[in-house]
Amino acid sequence: MIRVLCLAAVLVLVMAAPAVAHNVTAGADLRIAQTIAGAEVTVVVKGTSRVPGPLRIGVVAYQAVAGLPVGLEVRSVEDGRTVTATATAAADPRYAELRVERTGPHELRLRAGGETAVVPFRVLVDRGSAADFLIYGGLFVAALLLVGGLLTGALSRPGTAMALAAGAAAGVTVAAMVIVFEPWVTPSPPDGAAPTAEAAAGATVAAGGRPYAQARVATVPARPAVGEEFTLRLDLVDGSTGRPVDDLTVHHEALAHLVVTSQDGRYFRHVHPLRTAPGRLEVRLTADRPGRYLAHAELEREDSGGQLLEAGFTVGGDPEQAVPATAGEPGPQSTGATAGEPDPPAAVPGLRPAVPVAGRPATIELAAPAGVRPWLGMTGHLIVRSRSGDFLGHVHEMGSPGSRLRFTFSFPEPGRYLAWVQYATGDRIVTTPFTVDVTASEAAR
Amino acid sequence: MRLKIALPAAALVVAAVALFVVGRSASAEPVHVSTTGTRYAATVSIADPAPGRVTVEVKVDKGDADSVALSAVMPEMGHATPELTATEREPGRFLGEGELFSMTGVWELSIRLDGPAGEEELAVKALITE
Repeated sequence: MIRVLCLAAVLVLVMAAPAVAHNVTAGADLRIAQTIAGAEVTVVVKGTSRVPGPLRIGVVAYQAVAGLPVGLEVRSVEDGRTVTATATAAADPRYAELRVERTGPHELRLRAGGETAVVPFRVLVDRGSAADFLIYGGLFVAALLLVGGLLTGALSRPGTAMALAAGAAAGVTVAAMVIVFEPWVTPSPPDGAAPTAEAAAGATVAAGGRPYAQARVATVPARPAVGEEFTLRLDLVDGSTGRPVDDLTVHHEALAHLVVTSQDGRYFRHVHPLRTAPGRLEVRLTADRPGRYLAHAELEREDSGGQLLEAGFTVGGDPEQAVPATAGEPGPQSTGATAGEPDPPAAVPGLRPAVPVAGRPATIELAAPAGVRPWLGMTGHLIVRSRSGDFLGHVHEMGSPGSRLRFTFSFPEPGRYLAWVQYATGDRIVTTPFTVDVTASEAAR
Repeated sequence: MRLKIALPAAALVVAAVALFVVGRSASAEPVHVSTTGTRYAATVSIADPAPGRVTVEVKVDKGDADSVALSAVMPEMGHATPELTATEREPGRFLGEGELFSMTGVWELSIRLDGPAGEEELAVKALITE
């Protein structure tokens, strides 16, 4: 018996833990950043502990959006039942309550400012654990039978007493064995969960990573003009099957982090495109200067690691229309995260060492005002780009005490890098642009 | 005498319970899942979801579909299988037969429905086991 259980335990251990996609369970909210109606918001879907039950949805604004209404529509993919509500984006939003009738796959449709996003997710409700039932059931039966055994023993009926005592022993054994082996036994998946290979015996163990995704990037219109709103569209295609990639996981609170910069780095946007159709991500932008632009998309497929997709596009127009650069030096100009409003002159980040050495960790520190709040799950974000644009890094703040944001990064090659530190305060996302000159190490010279 | 019966009985109970706990998650289940789109809704049933030749039943619950075509992708491995056309056995009930799943694992089954309302592709996940 023990051998069978040990074998089962080993088999269970060999199988990897299933990855979590867009699941909504009680206590585990789905947070997803979206750039919608020109505003940077995070949609929060709070889980429910039962179905039918309430599903609470709020829209957290990271900019002063003056009560932007966001239409919410939750549809069960299994039976097509749809419920709607309206949320108002705010720094500390009120949650709209929608009623879900069942677990399983759902779609959340968001509508604001003439834009629509469709976010697929699953409503999961935990099932009662069979192990707990056996532990408490076994102990309860044992207790009952022991009392019965004592009573029958006292009434001098040794046979019955012995049978009851044996039953009690069995109950205690079951409870004890389940307690001992419970950690190795696969818990039963919550109600409404997607099927996983780990849940079935005989299924092949995960290969560890899905095929790469390719992005076919286009702008609508094909040649956008300066000052004119255009849509940047990414059609993601699976490199092995040619099918749309529609299995993006929420990675740092977004389906994709898209960094759009002009070649000279004076235009910078870090946005979160909307899923408008399976495998399609779209975001609306307005360019402020003509020329070449670069788009870097950071995303992660289910059961896979992160990947970076790159593409370029061109904005037409008269170079005279561009916002004139104040300094002759190429380098990023101050820009807002999405609204395009200039930030107030911010503190200049400190570098340690003052001239970072390629391949060695450098520390970048910035004094942040009080009241910085987490954005995309982090206090601060540092985005670095090589001048040519063929290298992009996204670094997170390390949780330094006090009102300082600290980042550590090893610049891969000597040269000039364009960098932007981003953090959120009460009503805005502050972007501090600067440049970093990196020198070669002594050994490499 | 009674002890000789009681002890094996207790051992049997323990064994049955342990097998229940371990074996509960190891059984293969037939696939039976519903999905709805904007034009059509369908219920997909696969009685024996195993690699090799399978029979997939598609019941069109909503919309008037003239044709149903099935294809499968295993996202984890990057496998794809060619589309096969399902035949309508009774109004709204289609049967597709063929090799859709080449190995065990989680597959995504695409159901392409076409009819007067237009074309729509629905997808369901199916766990394929031995």
